[in-house]
Amino acid sequence: MNMHLLKKALSNPLSLVGFIIIVLIFVLSMLAPIITPYDPNYINVKAILLAPSMQHWMGTDGLGRDVLSRMLFGGRISLLVGLVAVGISTAIGILLGALAGFYRGWVDTMIMRIVDIMLSIPSFFLILAVIAFLTPSIINIMIVIGLTSWMGVTRLVRAEFLSLNDREFVLASRTLGAKNARLIFTHLLPNSLTPIIVSAVLGVAGAVLMESGLSFLGLGVQAPQASWGNILTDGKEYIQFAWWLSLFPGLAILITVLGYNLLGEGLRDALDPRSGSNH
Amino acid sequence: MLKYLIKRVLWMVPMLIGISLISFFIMHLAPGDITNNEAAFNPKASEESRQKLREMYHLDKPIIIQYSLWLKRMVTLDFGKSFASHQKPVFWQTVDADGNVTEGLIQQALPITLMINLIGLAITLTLAIPLGIIAARKYQDWQDRSITLFNFIGFSIPSFWLSLLLMYWLGVVNNWFPISGLHSLNYDSLDTWHKIKDSLSHLFLPVVIPSITGLAGITLFVKNGMLDVLQQDYITTARAKGLGEHKVVYTHALRNALLPLITIVGLSIPGLIGGSVIAETIFAIPGMGKLFYDAILMRDFPVVMGILTIGSALTLIGNLLADVAYAWADPRVRRGVARA
Repeated sequence: MNMHLLKKALSNPLSLVGFIIIVLIFVLSMLAPIITPYDPNYINVKAILLAPSMQHWMGTDGLGRDVLSRMLFGGRISLLVGLVAVGISTAIGILLGALAGFYRGWVDTMIMRIVDIMLSIPSFFLILAVIAFLTPSIINIMIVIGLTSWMGVTRLVRAEFLSLNDREFVLASRTLGAKNARLIFTHLLPNSLTPIIVSAVLGVAGAVLMESGLSFLGLGVQAPQASWGNILTDGKEYIQFAWWLSLFPGLAILITVLGYNLLGEGLRDALDPRSGSNH
Repeated sequence: MLKYLIKRVLWMVPMLIGISLISFFIMHLAPGDITNNEAAFNPKASEESRQKLREMYHLDKPIIIQYSLWLKRMVTLDFGKSFASHQKPVFWQTVDADGNVTEGLIQQALPITLMINLIGLAITLTLAIPLGIIAARKYQDWQDRSITLFNFIGFSIPSFWLSLLLMYWLGVVNNWFPISGLHSLNYDSLDTWHKIKDSLSHLFLPVVIPSITGLAGITLFVKNGMLDVLQQDYITTARAKGLGEHKVVYTHALRNALLPLITIVGLSIPGLIGGSVIAETIFAIPGMGKLFYDAILMRDFPVVMGILTIGSALTLIGNLLADVAYAWADPRVRRGVARA
């Protein structure tokens, strides 16, 4: 990943929009404690289900909590889960993919068969089962999403390593007596980094969706802690007379996920030499 | 071709064993066992009766023994009985000594989920293929740009949110479609025509929503495939010899562009099955997803393990069918020429 690539990706208006969305959401959630006028968990029985107004921009929920404050704090959770889960899956993917692509032979066969097996278990079932049995908590969600989504990165890194392994500069370095660790860390890994970053950016989109889906089913972030998914779950009870409880969290998820998808696809396009001249 | 098929089928055996290992051991990660649940429902449950229950389900044996007992039964497609739902068999019906038939839980749920997903897939494909072709032919024009934008939104929209909004707007505000279940309460008293109408209107929302969200991926895939194919030499040749654009696109390009779609449809099966959890819980459809969700909340181990295994087996079968279909459709593979 270099600045050149980012620049190229950002020259595409769609990915620029994605980048701005990501930065904006990130800044807003980081500043949540400063910019929110209310405590996200403060229950105010005198302010139940108020429609959006100047005092409560996104209204209040069934317990009189300020929805905007909950949305901002919920954003922190969504981003945290997304980033950590992708961190875990990318780390596992790089490790296993590098092992498979570098050593080939039976190591490769073993790892790729495990990948095949993991890919054939419907992952949403797997995640649901593990989380439900381990009791839902933010840490468990991050770990479980990470542990069930590393297969794509593994395949990617393996493919990169396999193709780089036969390139002249790697052969030259090998002939000069470079050790395996040096080959991996100075030649193979840095040259595989760009596709890994693309898949990580797209992975955050998937992880944010997954977290909100789990929270929506009541198996994600637990009350009273706010997450976009569980604000929506609470909101669906009131959908007939408090539309704001269902509209805003869904929009927030949509916009955030859209941001990561736009940037990810933009980076992928910038990477792809075939589409280079068109953008 | 036959050799390829046999090899491909034999591959499924080690895969299934791996899958069963993973699903079995995950279930046993959980702290506490079924008897905790029993105690929670019935505070009078004594330690003695809980011990009896553990023995009944072999929970007192070492985990390896439990696994081999389970695997042995699984080979004969006996997934045991549900802990929670009145001892119903998990997979297929059983007949007791008096000839009473008890239907299996998966036996009841699977056809519903399969039907919804197949109808959904058919809708997705009928819409996605033309959209993908338009996007590729009008590449970088406004048509392509709006389809691309639509794709991004389709990728990013949480399906449960879309379900809620449509359910509210079409079901509650306008009352055009029923919002839960598969049939109306008076279903049995309706004549055939009204039965069909009733079923279709119940199916509308649960089928349409996953189709909308699934549309994005397939459209993008068709578009990219089309773009790739249209750049190839044989298309230039076809154009050079004076064929009309219509003929070039629909008879020469389309077939090759659609070929890899077979694989993609095969690969989308686990996502479709997994995705059924959210749609089915929202619309109260008694399919695999709802069954799974309820089983998880009840800690109904046999059902959870059964669905994980059957769901994965379905994925394997789906991939097998996709590979066979691909081999059948692509003469290079069919005649045993190595694939690039």
